[in-house]
Amino acid sequence: MPELGRAALALSLGLALYALVAGAYAAATRRRRLARSAQNALLAAFGSTGVASIVLLGALLRNDFSFTYVAEHTSRELPTPYTISAFWGGQEGSLLLWLLILTGFSAAAVVLSRRSAPDLLPWVVPILGLVATFFAFMLVAVSSPFQTQLAPADGAGLNPSLQNPYMMIHPPCLYLGYVGLTIPFAFAMGALLSRRTDELWIVATRRWTLFAWTALGIGQLLGSHWAYVEVGWGGYYAWDPVENAALMPWLASTAFLHSVMIQEKRGMLKVWNVLLVILAFCLALFGTFLTRSGVISSIHSFTQSPLGGWFLGFICLITLGSVALVISRLPILRSKTRMESLVSREATFLYNNLLLVALCLTILWGVVFPLVSEAVHGEQITVSSPYYNFFLRIFGLPLLLLMAIGPLVAWRRASLRSLGRSFAWPAGIALAVGVVLLILGAGSSWIGLLAYTFSAFVLGSIGYEFVRGTRARRALTGGTWAAAFVELVGRNRRRYGGYIVHAAIVLLAIGIVGSSAYDTVRERTLAPGQTMAVSHYDVKYDQLVRRNGANATEFRAILDVKKNGRSVGTLESGKNSYRAEQQTSNEVGIRSDPLTGEDLYVITDQINQNGTIAFKVLVKPLVNLIWISGFVFLIGSLVALWPSAAEQRRLALRYRELRALARA
Amino acid sequence: MLAIFLLYVSVAGGTPSIQPSQLHGRTGDVALVGKVTGSPAGDAQATGLRFRMRDVSGQSASVPVVYRGSVPDMFKVGREVRVEGRLQNGLFIAKKDSLRTKCPSKYVAKKT
Amino acid sequence: MTALALAIGAVLAVACVVFVALPFLREPDPVEDRLDEPGALERRALELAEERDRALAALKELEFDHRTGKISDEDYRELVGPLRARVAEALRALEPHAESTEERVHAAG
Repeated sequence: MPELGRAALALSLGLALYALVAGAYAAATRRRRLARSAQNALLAAFGSTGVASIVLLGALLRNDFSFTYVAEHTSRELPTPYTISAFWGGQEGSLLLWLLILTGFSAAAVVLSRRSAPDLLPWVVPILGLVATFFAFMLVAVSSPFQTQLAPADGAGLNPSLQNPYMMIHPPCLYLGYVGLTIPFAFAMGALLSRRTDELWIVATRRWTLFAWTALGIGQLLGSHWAYVEVGWGGYYAWDPVENAALMPWLASTAFLHSVMIQEKRGMLKVWNVLLVILAFCLALFGTFLTRSGVISSIHSFTQSPLGGWFLGFICLITLGSVALVISRLPILRSKTRMESLVSREATFLYNNLLLVALCLTILWGVVFPLVSEAVHGEQITVSSPYYNFFLRIFGLPLLLLMAIGPLVAWRRASLRSLGRSFAWPAGIALAVGVVLLILGAGSSWIGLLAYTFSAFVLGSIGYEFVRGTRARRALTGGTWAAAFVELVGRNRRRYGGYIVHAAIVLLAIGIVGSSAYDTVRERTLAPGQTMAVSHYDVKYDQLVRRNGANATEFRAILDVKKNGRSVGTLESGKNSYRAEQQTSNEVGIRSDPLTGEDLYVITDQINQNGTIAFKVLVKPLVNLIWISGFVFLIGSLVALWPSAAEQRRLALRYRELRALARA
Repeated sequence: MLAIFLLYVSVAGGTPSIQPSQLHGRTGDVALVGKVTGSPAGDAQATGLRFRMRDVSGQSASVPVVYRGSVPDMFKVGREVRVEGRLQNGLFIAKKDSLRTKCPSKYVAKKT
Repeated sequence: MTALALAIGAVLAVACVVFVALPFLREPDPVEDRLDEPGALERRALELAEERDRALAALKELEFDHRTGKISDEDYRELVGPLRARVAEALRALEPHAESTEERVHAAG
C-alpha cells in the first residue's frame, strides 16, 4: 500500500508539472486543445492526490505501524477521531493535506471559471501548476508520508496537548485559508500575464478571497481558544512566530478586501491591489514555512529539516517573479483617476489599508528580527509581547476609529455638513459610554477606556447604519420593519455583511481589552481547606482526587467558588499524566460567567508532596466576547459571501456581450 | 520612516538569545537557551528550582540556574528550554515565570 | 496487498493519462486550434463597459446614500448632475460598439 501512495504522489507531481509546462506553452502560443489538456491535468492531480490521501488515512485507521508516519503520530489506545487528525499532525501529512486542498481548490476554480472567466484560465492554470509542482515535489522527494519501517508493537502516540477537539479543526481550517489565497494570487498573475487590466480577476476571485480570509480568521480564533483552555497559561495569544504566521496573511487579506472596493468603484489602486495579493500569498507560504523549519527560535520549534531551505527558495522565486511581472506591466496598470477628497470613503479605506499593512509589516519585522540580528550581531535577539502590544495599540486604536467613521462617510466626497449630521448619534453614544465607564472605574487603563469608547462609537455607527437603511427601505416599499430589514440586507449583502463583520471585530477588541487591561492575577499556595480571594471571588481548596482516564492518570483539585460571597459551584483544576507519551499536561479549571462574560481561571502550578498546592488564579473580564465574536464574524462573512443573483446576471451579461464581439 | 522607528524599538526592546557557552562574563538581561542537565532540585514555588543548562549541541560546561515561578509541563532533563534573567556571581538568576520549554516536534506551545 | 496496490496504481495512471489526452483524442483534426483572446477593440469595449457599470453603480449608491440620509439634500443636488452626465457619456461611448455587438449576437442566433 505505501507503494500506491508513493506512486499516486509521483503521478500528482507529473500532472502538476505538465499543467505548468504545457499550460504555459499553450497560453503563450494560444493553443486551445493543449490549454484544455493542461486544465485536465490539474483536475486529474486532485484525483491522484486524493488516492494518496486515502492510502494514508487507511493506514492510520488500520494502525499500520509499518508506515513510519503512522507509528510516529498514533498509538493503539488513541481514540479514533484523534487518529484521523494525526493525518495533519505531522510534517509530511500536513504537506499532503496542503496539496490535497490545493488541487481540490484548483479543480474547483478551473471548473467554475470556465464559464465566468475563460479568458484568464490559460495563464491561471500554469501558475496553479507551479505551486502544486512545488508541494508535490516536496512530498515525493523531500518529505514523504509513505516511508516504511519494521513495524513496532505500538506507536509513539499523539502529543497529549493535541488531543483536543479544537486541534482537530484548527489546522485544516487554517490550511483552507492559506491554500485559498493561492487562487486570487493565480488569477492576479494570470491577468497580468494576459495583459488584462480590468477587474475580471478580482470579480472572479472575490468569493475565494472572502472564504480564505474567513477560514484564516476562524482558524486563528480556534487556535487561540485551544491555547487558552488547553495549554493553560492564562492567555490566548503569545505573539509566537507561528501564531503570527497566520495573523500576517490575514491582515494583508483584510487590507486587500477593502482596497479592491476602491478599484471597483473608482478604477484606482490597481498596482496596490496586485501587490497586496502577492503579499498575502507570500505571507501564507512564509507562514507554512515558519511552522516547518527551525529557522526562527520559537516555542513551536521543529526539527531542523531540509524542507526549510526548499521553502525559502520557493518563496523567493514567487516573490521575485511576481514583482518582476508587476513591474513589467506597470505602464498599463497605472490609472488616470485621482482621489477627489481626503474626506471620502476612499480615503478612509486607504488609511485603513495603510494601517493594516503597517501592522502586518511590523509583525513581520518582529518575526524575522532574530535572523537579521544574528546576521548583523552574531546572536539572535528576540522581541516579545511588549514590542507587539505597543504596535497593536498604535495601529489598532486608529483602525477602530476608522471602522466607526468609514460607514458614516459617503464615497467620493463628503461635505462637513453631512458628516456632522451622521456623526451626531454614534459619537454621542460613544461619549456617553465613555463617561459611564470612567465613573465605573475603567480609568485604571486609559488605553482600555479609549478602546472601549471607540468600540462604542463603531457599534453606534453600525447600528445607526442599519436603522437608517431599514427606515429608508421601509419608506420605499412599506411593510414591516422586519421585512424591510431582511430586504435591505438581502439587496446589499456586501455592505451589511461587512458591517456585521466589523461588529464582530469590535466584540473581539472589547474582549481582548477587557481581559488584558482589566484582569486580576493572584498566586498562593493553599493547604486543603484554605481559601484565597481574587477580585470578587473566593476560591477554597477542598481536596485532591485521582482518577484513571482513557490514556492518562488525572489529578484534580476540587475547588469551592464563591462570587461576591455567594456560592456558585465547584471547579476542578489539575494535571494529567499520560502513560504512553510519558508527559504531563496542565488541565486548567475555567468558570465562565454567563452574564458578564468573565472567566475565573485556575491553574494548578505545582502539587506538593505535603498536600499543598500552588495555585495561580486569574480573573479575566469579558474574555468570552472573543469567542462569541467568532460566531458573529462567521455570520457576517456568510452574508457577504452569499451569491447575489442580480450581480451574477450583470457581470455575466457584460462579459458575454464582449465575447460575442470577439467572435464576430 | 516606519522602518527607522521599527528598527529603534526592536533594538531597544529586544532580548539577546544566547547559549550557556556564550554566557561567561556577560552582564545584563539575556534569554538563555539550552538543554537541561544535572538533577533539578528545589521548589520553584518556594526557595527556587535549581538546575543546570548546557549548550543544545556540544558538550560545553554547564551553567547553574535558579528559577522561581511556574514550571512548564514538559520540563525535564534533556529538554530544550528558554529562560530569561541575568548572570550574577556565576549563578544565572532567572526572571520569574519566564521558563519555557521547546516541544521536540509539532506545533505545540509549551508555556505556563 | 502489493498486487492490489499495483492494480489500483495502474488503473489510476491510465485514467489520468487518458483524461489529460482527452482534448486531443476528441478532436484529432480540428478546424481551428486557436485560443480566443480579446483584441484591441474588445479591450477598449471592456474598459468602456466597466466605466459604464461603475458610473451606474455610483449613481445608484448616491441615491441610496441620499435616501438613508448619509448625504444631505444640498450635497445630493451638487453631486447628482455630474454623475448623471458621466453615465450618459459612458453609455454614448459604448454605443457604436453596442450596436455592432447586438447585430452580431442576433446574427449568431
